[in-house]
Amino acid sequence: MVRVLTPFEYFEPKTVEEASNLLRDYGEKVRVLAGGVDLLARIRRREIQVEGLVCIQRIPGLDYVRQDSEGLKIGALTTLRTLERSQEVRENYRLLFDAIHSIHSIQVKNMGTAVGNLCIATPASDVAVSLLALDAQMKIAGPSSERSMPLENFYLGVKRTALQPGELVTGILVPPLPKGSFGAFMKLVRTATDIAKVNVAVRATLRNGGCEEVRIALGSVAPTIVRARKAEEALRGTRLEREAVVEAAERAAEEVNPITDIRSTAEYRREMVKVLTRRAVEKIKVEAGVKG
Amino acid sequence: MRGKQVIKLTVNGEPYEVEVEPHMTLLEVLRDKLNLTGTKGSCGVGECGTCTVLVDGKPFLSCLTLAITVRDKNILTIEGLARDKKLHILQKAFLEHGAVQCGFCTPAMLLTAKALLDENPNPTREEIREYISGVLCRCTGYVKIIEAIMSAAEEIRRRGSEYE
Ligand SMILES: Cc1cc2nc3c(=O)[nH]c(=O)nc-3n(C[C@H](O)[C@H](O)[C@H](O)COP(=O)(O)OP(=O)(O)OC[C@H]3O[C@@H](n4cnc5c(N)ncnc54)[C@H](O)[C@@H]3O)c2cc1C
Repeated sequence: MVRVLTPFEYFEPKTVEEASNLLRDYGEKVRVLAGGVDLLARIRRREIQVEGLVCIQRIPGLDYVRQDSEGLKIGALTTLRTLERSQEVRENYRLLFDAIHSIHSIQVKNMGTAVGNLCIATPASDVAVSLLALDAQMKIAGPSSERSMPLENFYLGVKRTALQPGELVTGILVPPLPKGSFGAFMKLVRTATDIAKVNVAVRATLRNGGCEEVRIALGSVAPTIVRARKAEEALRGTRLEREAVVEAAERAAEEVNPITDIRSTAEYRREMVKVLTRRAVEKIKVEAGVKG
Repeated sequence: MRGKQVIKLTVNGEPYEVEVEPHMTLLEVLRDKLNLTGTKGSCGVGECGTCTVLVDGKPFLSCLTLAITVRDKNILTIEGLARDKKLHILQKAFLEHGAVQCGFCTPAMLLTAKALLDENPNPTREEIREYISGVLCRCTGYVKIIEAIMSAAEEIRRRGSEYE
């Protein structure tokens, strides 16, 4: 049989404020419990020691996905499966849909929240990579104030976020996409259920065949997910001609700082950043009907 | 909250009152407290899917679910799939197609398949493959499992019922 969990105290706040007070009072000793997919597995593996869990599952008003003039809004309790089945996500935020759809376990998607996925702070997260390319903002609540920050600034390192004591994430905001936006998500995995060796999300906004704006987000190639800014520059203002795409892919590979681990060597990852970046832009070109 | 506490659980339509501690998983409560040992446990970290049960109709990993968090939800385990001594059509199809080898993944496969057919009564092969991909069959009998689900789906559609 599987190992038991080590005992902990259990809190079930009814409001965000109550939750954040608990987080402030108990500090490092407690953790937020959302879907529990990652957290309980870590406790079972004895990777982390907790004295208490602050279960946010019964806080009303945190399970939603809706689109309005400010963009796509996702609550802290919205599961990956709810997002995968949302028509707004599938039709208007395809990049996010593709990333979630690439996760191969209905069980994980039924239980796991998108916010929980982001709060793990692993650079291999498919959800984080796609949301980075979509300029997502994290909505954060503390004991006495609320703030929001770009997802890009949310990560400080492997498993480290910018959350302060007493703070929790209440939701995600994905701004509206400008007209003419296209996206492509790609990941390289050994088996369909494994964690990515490299994952890439590209979003481009095209006007009259020219690339007005572009985001290239990369995962599993640095301590945090990263944007390949020099590669983006190589594409901005071009018509996505072949040379520009090759140049961008080369730059993306130069910008990353991958490691060697059980899944890949650093050299291989760097090479694959090049390949996947190029393929993602090519896919966008096909979808947008850009020739050349 | 710390220490023992009595919670209400609804399992296979039956109400139960069980004493749990906060760190007890649904899997432990089902197997060790309620003696419902049809649900299996294996990896403990979400990779294998053999601990799958349905929580309000959705496949959940019972080894990563605290029992205390599913109080007042409806839980369906493999013991509750047959009704009035009649097998569910999926169960019959698994038998007829030889979709059971060692049997360890079977409860999870059946419940996951039931959730799929409740959601999508007419799935394609590819949709079945995707939906059951979170449950590992180490005998690797996937082909027969997929065939059994295809055939059960057809029969349930034809009969308009999940039972004969
Ligand atoms: C078999 C398997 C396959 C997977 N495959 C993929 C994959 O292909 N791609 C991918 O991207 N992911 C994958 N995942 C990861 C999965 O998506 C996450 O584990 C899940 O979404 C976590 O969400 P949760 O709600 O269960 O979080 P929890 O486990 O509850 O929490 C995770 C962490 O975030 C913190 N946290 C949660 N919510 C908040 C909040 N509101 N505020 C502050 N902190 C919070 C918790 O304290 C904890 O540290 C996989 C996981 C498994 C088990």
